[in-house]
Amino acid sequence: MASAHPAIAELATVVGPDNILADPDELLVYECDGFPIAKGQPTAVVFPTTTEQVSQVIRTLVKHDLQIVPRGSGTGLAGGAVVYDGGVLVTTSRMTQIEKIDLPNRYAVVQAGVRNFALTEALAGSGYHYSPDPSSQRASTIGGNCSTNAGGINTLKHGVTTNHILGLEFVLPDGTIMHTRAGGVCDGVGPDLPALLCGSEGTFALITRIWCRIVPQPAHFRTFYAVYDSTFDACKTVTDVIAAGILPTSMEMMDGGMIEAVEAAFHFGFPTTAQALLLLEIDGIDQVLDQQMKEIVAIAESNHAKDIMSCSDPKKRAELWQARKKAFGAVGRISHSYCTQDACVPRSKLPEVMAEVGKLGDKFGLRITNVFHAGDGNIHPIMLFDEDDPQQVQNVLRLSEEVLEYCIEVGGTITGEHGVGVEKLHLMDKMFNPQTLDTFDRIKRAFDPKRRINDAKLIPSDKLHVELLTPVTNQPGGAVVTQV
Amino acid sequence: MTDTTIDNTTNTITNSDGLAELVTQCAASKTPIVDYGVAHTGLGFPPPDEHIQLAYRPDLNTTAGGVIEHYDRDMTVRAHAGATMRELRDALKTTRQFLPIDADDDLTLGEVVTHNVYGPMRVAYGSVRDLLLGLHYIDGQGRDIHVGGRTVKNVAGYDVTRFMVGSLGEFGLVHEATIRTYAIPEQATLIDLKLDDPGLFDRVLSQWMLTDAAPAALSMSNEPERWTAHLIYLGRSSACAVQRRSLETLIDQTEGVHLIGSTDGTFDRAQDELSARRVWRRGATTLVKLMVPPALTGAACGEIQTWGESNAPVTIEAMPAHGCIFTGGELSPHGARKLGDLANHICRAHFGQFAWHARPPVIPEAPKIAPFGPLQPDWPMMWRLKKAMDPKRLFNPGRFITTRSHPKENDANN
Ligand SMILES: Cc1cc2nc3c(=O)[nH]c(=O)nc-3n(C[C@H](O)[C@H](O)[C@H](O)COP(=O)(O)OP(=O)(O)OC[C@H]3O[C@@H](n4cnc5c(N)ncnc54)[C@H](O)[C@@H]3O)c2cc1C
Repeated sequence: MASAHPAIAELATVVGPDNILADPDELLVYECDGFPIAKGQPTAVVFPTTTEQVSQVIRTLVKHDLQIVPRGSGTGLAGGAVVYDGGVLVTTSRMTQIEKIDLPNRYAVVQAGVRNFALTEALAGSGYHYSPDPSSQRASTIGGNCSTNAGGINTLKHGVTTNHILGLEFVLPDGTIMHTRAGGVCDGVGPDLPALLCGSEGTFALITRIWCRIVPQPAHFRTFYAVYDSTFDACKTVTDVIAAGILPTSMEMMDGGMIEAVEAAFHFGFPTTAQALLLLEIDGIDQVLDQQMKEIVAIAESNHAKDIMSCSDPKKRAELWQARKKAFGAVGRISHSYCTQDACVPRSKLPEVMAEVGKLGDKFGLRITNVFHAGDGNIHPIMLFDEDDPQQVQNVLRLSEEVLEYCIEVGGTITGEHGVGVEKLHLMDKMFNPQTLDTFDRIKRAFDPKRRINDAKLIPSDKLHVELLTPVTNQPGGAVVTQV
Repeated sequence: MTDTTIDNTTNTITNSDGLAELVTQCAASKTPIVDYGVAHTGLGFPPPDEHIQLAYRPDLNTTAGGVIEHYDRDMTVRAHAGATMRELRDALKTTRQFLPIDADDDLTLGEVVTHNVYGPMRVAYGSVRDLLLGLHYIDGQGRDIHVGGRTVKNVAGYDVTRFMVGSLGEFGLVHEATIRTYAIPEQATLIDLKLDDPGLFDRVLSQWMLTDAAPAALSMSNEPERWTAHLIYLGRSSACAVQRRSLETLIDQTEGVHLIGSTDGTFDRAQDELSARRVWRRGATTLVKLMVPPALTGAACGEIQTWGESNAPVTIEAMPAHGCIFTGGELSPHGARKLGDLANHICRAHFGQFAWHARPPVIPEAPKIAPFGPLQPDWPMMWRLKKAMDPKRLFNPGRFITTRSHPKENDANN
């Protein structure tokens, strides 16, 4: 342990010497999450295994006046788990117990560090599953999913994380352990505190235990994809399906660049000359799915779909969804660095929004490729750039800003599922009026009056200011961090 | 009749500016603003003696049925919180859409949100928290706060939108809501089953939910002499037919359940049926809602029924998929107290919660009937949030969140 911060020895006594990292070399991988532009080095990384340890760790950090930054698996895409100001990462990745599965009452209790997919694996064969399915589900934690209110591929029909959370246990930034109404009850009396904690990006408390709703796994489905010569037509299909009152399980879209990348990586047989591909799934009563599929196909054809392929083999279907979920990874084949943007717009606006995103990419000389939750209107332009070129880094940030401002203009939001983190902090005042921002600040203070946990994330801070847009020294991806 | 009395002088306000002005005036004069809704006047601690009674009614001449904007191609609607469910239902019908919330026609959208109103259709469509996308409300400083938005996914800022669901009007005056709509189903198939005992669903529901027989709406009630389950299938007529056949197979394989009747009809018919089944609640002088883990719904209903047989007859209406039970009737104050003891006992045994919706006037010599119980563990956080969002305690003060000493009061049934 190279660092001499006095807190480190104390933390080691709480979690044990094997559950703390403080050597600068070991800390290097913890300097960012899935948003590579925001970086900061923690003083230490601790891996508590129980709620009581989390509480003691937090008390120790308070004593030493160190920022507490919660972290799950670090797959977040907004810099929410990055430490500025010499704080300590409190990582739940060793809190991996699935404590209870109660099928008759249809809920499970898990520690925050349980990976999303681990719960679904544990439920295999029961007919039930944990529905929220972010593409990162094999890596990301349920605690992280709650904190970002993660969405996924089948959230179009079945809802995002918050719709599947019954209760939460959390540790406040003074070390107090608290929990919301919990157990198998579906609701209680009074305001919905679990909902407020969901999506709070670790700025209120550290979530330690989660009561998750589990639901029947759809038994019958139809999976099919439509290929187009233009993204506009694919987007128009999405808009028309939604307007017809049809609610597919998933309606995902890839553009030409992404089809090429995915095909190169997974050899699924997608036509690489296509400009867009719409991947759809519907679930429900077997006997009526064919009819429903026909209606969607008719809508796709009326929007000039060139080719429509259905996929009835369960193995092939699984591969298809794996290919979709690993699409982000496939981008690595076409660019060394990339930044995934996230915004959500009314579904009826998708065609015009995608056209505008393309134009903005041209304006900044950046190549954009897209794979996204089209049915939700949740776009993910992926900007390809060179991390070692400070100008390109700046262009990525400025392009992001213009895309997001445009999305606000058309009635959308700056983030549909990845969160605000540090990345979108500067856009919060474009999204919300000052009174609403003040309300957020008051709510933050109700949980964390001294701004000890994940300060300067999600809402601006009066203590710490993180500036990503200003070029910094010679380190691309750095940030100006000022004590206010 | 309840032990909650609400001032008769009602301030009818028609727009958000009016609400903001009222809040500013009340903040200056330290006068609480009370809005307990029309169907929830008995829920919670009674309002303070001195208060202003609020009714928020938008001017419907300028808005079609309270709809501000219907984004029909996005399947969402932005509406005045003061619009009634009936008005919204009629307005949305023109585009063959509806709000999938089981709520009485005269309830406003605001009341539905702040009281987390739901019913048997929750099985298919979720509750308000699953449907709500954005809110506008006036806060304790008279400011117009806009949270959430109109997109179906949104994680910008804190989710105050869903936090407000069930908040009993303690955190602000909601004046506008954006909410998901659904296409009106082609058909509704209504099926009634006779149950030999109320515990059937405790045993079988988790399995039934995995079959085609999983209903879109499910409730059960203790009709005179028998327990009846009410199932509704919604969708295409071919799907409803498959579901009914699947149910018939399950009935054949399951002991203690018998088909009484089955009707195919329109979705309107199903909505009328659902509202007819809850009519009794509005007339009951004693009404308590219990929330227990779903697989204990039947057992809890059985306990209440047994209690009723030796004490006072009670109506029981339950939603077994969500562990929600409403029970009550015409009970004496003494009977109501005893029913409260039973609700408390059941909820304590099963980590449940109960809330009174109507309590008869208290017996002078007996302790008050506590409106809620058992005390929720997140109580201290609620108190801090109330202080943050309504520092002057203007909105329904003391209804749910009273003073620091409240926890003991709140748990008076201990
Ligand atoms: C390839 C890839 C695909 C992705 N696909 C999706 C997708 O489909 N949908 C989607 O929504 N997101 C997606 N993401 C983003 C990311 O996976 C999610 O945001 C996920 O929920 C983060 O979980 P995590 O455990 O990695 O959390 P982290 O990245 O470690 O943390 C995320 C945020 O939550 C906070 N946090 C973490 N754990 C806790 C806790 N226990 N208590 C309090 N705060 C906590 C952190 O401080 C941080 O602010 C994807 C990311 C990648 C890299």
